Amino acid sequence: MDTLFYALAVILAGGILPLLLYRQFKVMKAAAVIATVVGSMLGLMALTPALQDTGPPTTTWAWQQFLTLTFSIDSLSVFFLVPIFLICPLAALYGFHYMDKSEEAWRIAVNYCCLSLLIVSMVLVVCADSLITFALAWEVMSLTSYFLVVHEFHKKETRAAGYLYFVFAQAGAMCIFAAFGLIYSVTGSFSFDGLDQLSSPLKLAVFILTLLGFGSKAGIFPLHIWLPHAHPAAPSHISAVMSGVMIKMGIYGIFRFYTLLGDTSMLPGQIILAVGMASGVLGVVYALGKHDIKRLLAYHSVENIGIILIGAGLGMIGVATGNATMAIFGFAGSLLHVLNHSIFKSLLFMGAGAVLQKTRTRHVDELGGLIKRMPTTGRTFLVGSISISGLPPFNGFISEFLIYFAAFQGLTLPGISFLFASLAIISLAVIGGLAAACFTKVVGIVFLGEPRSEAAARASEVQASMTLPLLLLAVLCLVIGIFPAPFVELAFFGLRDMAMIGAIEPGTGQVLISNLAFAARLFLGILLGVTLLRRVLYAGKEIASGPTWGCGFTQPNVRMQYTGTSYAMSIVEFFQPFVSIRTVYSGIRRIFPGATTYETRVDDIAEIGMHRYLLQPLVKILDRLRWIQHGHIQLYIGYIVLTIVVLLLVF
Amino acid sequence: MINLSDAILVLILLSVLISLESNRMMTLVKIMGLQGVMVSLVPLFLEQHQAIGSGGIIFFQIMILIKGLLIPGLLYFAVQRVAIKREVEPLIGYHASLFFGLIMILVSLFITEKLQLTLPGGHSLLLITAITTLGAGLFLMMSRTKAITQVIGYLMLENGIYLIGTALTKQSHTRYVVEFGVLLDVLVGVMIMGIILNNINRAFDDVDTALLGRLKD
Repeated sequence: MDTLFYALAVILAGGILPLLLYRQFKVMKAAAVIATVVGSMLGLMALTPALQDTGPPTTTWAWQQFLTLTFSIDSLSVFFLVPIFLICPLAALYGFHYMDKSEEAWRIAVNYCCLSLLIVSMVLVVCADSLITFALAWEVMSLTSYFLVVHEFHKKETRAAGYLYFVFAQAGAMCIFAAFGLIYSVTGSFSFDGLDQLSSPLKLAVFILTLLGFGSKAGIFPLHIWLPHAHPAAPSHISAVMSGVMIKMGIYGIFRFYTLLGDTSMLPGQIILAVGMASGVLGVVYALGKHDIKRLLAYHSVENIGIILIGAGLGMIGVATGNATMAIFGFAGSLLHVLNHSIFKSLLFMGAGAVLQKTRTRHVDELGGLIKRMPTTGRTFLVGSISISGLPPFNGFISEFLIYFAAFQGLTLPGISFLFASLAIISLAVIGGLAAACFTKVVGIVFLGEPRSEAAARASEVQASMTLPLLLLAVLCLVIGIFPAPFVELAFFGLRDMAMIGAIEPGTGQVLISNLAFAARLFLGILLGVTLLRRVLYAGKEIASGPTWGCGFTQPNVRMQYTGTSYAMSIVEFFQPFVSIRTVYSGIRRIFPGATTYETRVDDIAEIGMHRYLLQPLVKILDRLRWIQHGHIQLYIGYIVLTIVVLLLVF
Repeated sequence: MINLSDAILVLILLSVLISLESNRMMTLVKIMGLQGVMVSLVPLFLEQHQAIGSGGIIFFQIMILIKGLLIPGLLYFAVQRVAIKREVEPLIGYHASLFFGLIMILVSLFITEKLQLTLPGGHSLLLITAITTLGAGLFLMMSRTKAITQVIGYLMLENGIYLIGTALTKQSHTRYVVEFGVLLDVLVGVMIMGIILNNINRAFDDVDTALLGRLKD
């Protein structure tokens, strides 16, 4: 535990140093990056003893008797600490050249400070061992990430996005605190210990409240609205940290409280599974409909949170029905997907950030042909795309396969569980297919073809500090895909301290993993073999290359290419009732038509619904109460007196 | 001695009533000065007080200085500097205010009876005065338009709180340290109020708080 705190101190130093050094721009950034990287390595080192035994004992830190913070590490914490210490230093490194405006030195210093605070608070969330510690760390995490989102606060839309995120984060935190209050009212202590003693309706209430709170952080379906606004607004490496790591804290919360409550009834699993399926399918459908590259990636976060929750839901159903294999593989797949998603999603966000920095546009239809101009970014982005689509030989395949395996185990269950398991399989398949479609769109439009704008044509490769994290993450994707065994073991290890799951049969896991590894390697082998075969067959032949989509025209035009909209619309239209598509088309009315406009946009039904059924009525009611705020100081004082008198009379 | 402390309490009550009834800013400020001195003197003339050490003496002296001289002095300058019209401008008329003051005394009597505290001798009268002062301070804040009267009302409120503290606790040196700290806060508060007053005056050419209503959104 001590090593971990030293690591946190180093990371914190990496946040405070920039504030002091901001006059030397390069030195400041270097100090922040070095401290973050060193601190994270220390942190990873601190985890190694926890891997072997039962982990270090609980650390308690008391201040003035009323504030006692307790920290401990169990296997679940260790698992979630890995992506934190893995992704955050890479993001900090990426930021070295991404934040390149030396005239904004002070603002960038503050950004680094908030980033280090965010890292520290996430670590503390994961290590928290009492309600009050958890709440404190959670709140610090929400606030620092808010400040990171509003980095470019001079833009109006950034402020709006930040505000939206702030509202969702705080509303979510309120739900969590309400659950904590409920627990405290029964147990009378802030300790995590007595939670399994609660009565079952209370357990369900706590579960629902925490699901709302953690769900709004993780971005489960109706509560995901902030994600597609906040991610485009934030700097890209911050998006990578937030999407790759921070929203996983919501998942951690759900896992943690599920373990603590020890509620082994069917309902939590069914709720989580249903929410997961809705988030997964709708997330990817909206992602298809969006053409802002970072917004699209944000919707993919919703989708992947969906996949993670499908795994967790299957695991919970497995626990409820006593099907140990289903439970273990569901949870393990879910955990492994947490790790995998943090890797490939931060890779994708950083890739998108590189594109954004070079072209200054996020709209896919203004890009094109970038793989020729930014080879490293393009190829690593391709790796990330294949991983996120869950295709071998990369890492997304492994974790999704584990979840599939759990779902197929569930097919032996009777009644409603069978239905849930088969629905899970179907939605996983739909998600995988649509994700692949979506990333063929992104890669096809952004990186292949011909540049659609001047900015895209002039793009060049980004600096080393940005390509290095991209390469590292891409290699990690491949390594997990080809050598899955240690990572699946790590996921199993993550489940060790979740008592209700039960021990894994050693045989099944080993065989499955080795088969999985074999399949992935076989796939890679075939891929390499086909490439080699092509080389051999085409050796000595003349290969002519023309412009992409040229199709033999003498004067090809970049507007002949597919656009993102045209590529995706046929799929999006299929999901019509769940997706609202607005089309404005001026039409062709004359024989010699004039200028014609066509505009189409895909709106989020959750956003529309929340605006129409929650926000508008609320504003209407609050408008009626405006007379209370009349601006007369005398009556305001009167309010205060009245409140005090009423309180004195009541209590 | 009891008679002397009762006399002081009566003076405080009278000062409260006069302040409710006075229609000139300057009178109000002067009354506040008197009230401040009286309030600071109360603990000295109470029956129970032990021998006060030299430290205590200095405390009381400084307290009288601040309550009776410094704060009213600041207010005096504020009125001279800022207020163009020297009228108090009440929302509730002077006679009604006076009537409220009298009712407040009765209410405090009622509250003191109702609380059924075991107070040391002579302290029940003190408590009545204290609650009246507190209530009148609140009333003054609510019923006068000018910002300066809000400050004065706040000061009266503070005097009331100080008296309640005196009434409810046994006299001891340490309590006055706390009280002294509060007093310094009030002093700073008055200074800040002065700055705000100046700003309000500059922005609106008046210190009528009704004008602040324009700032709401």
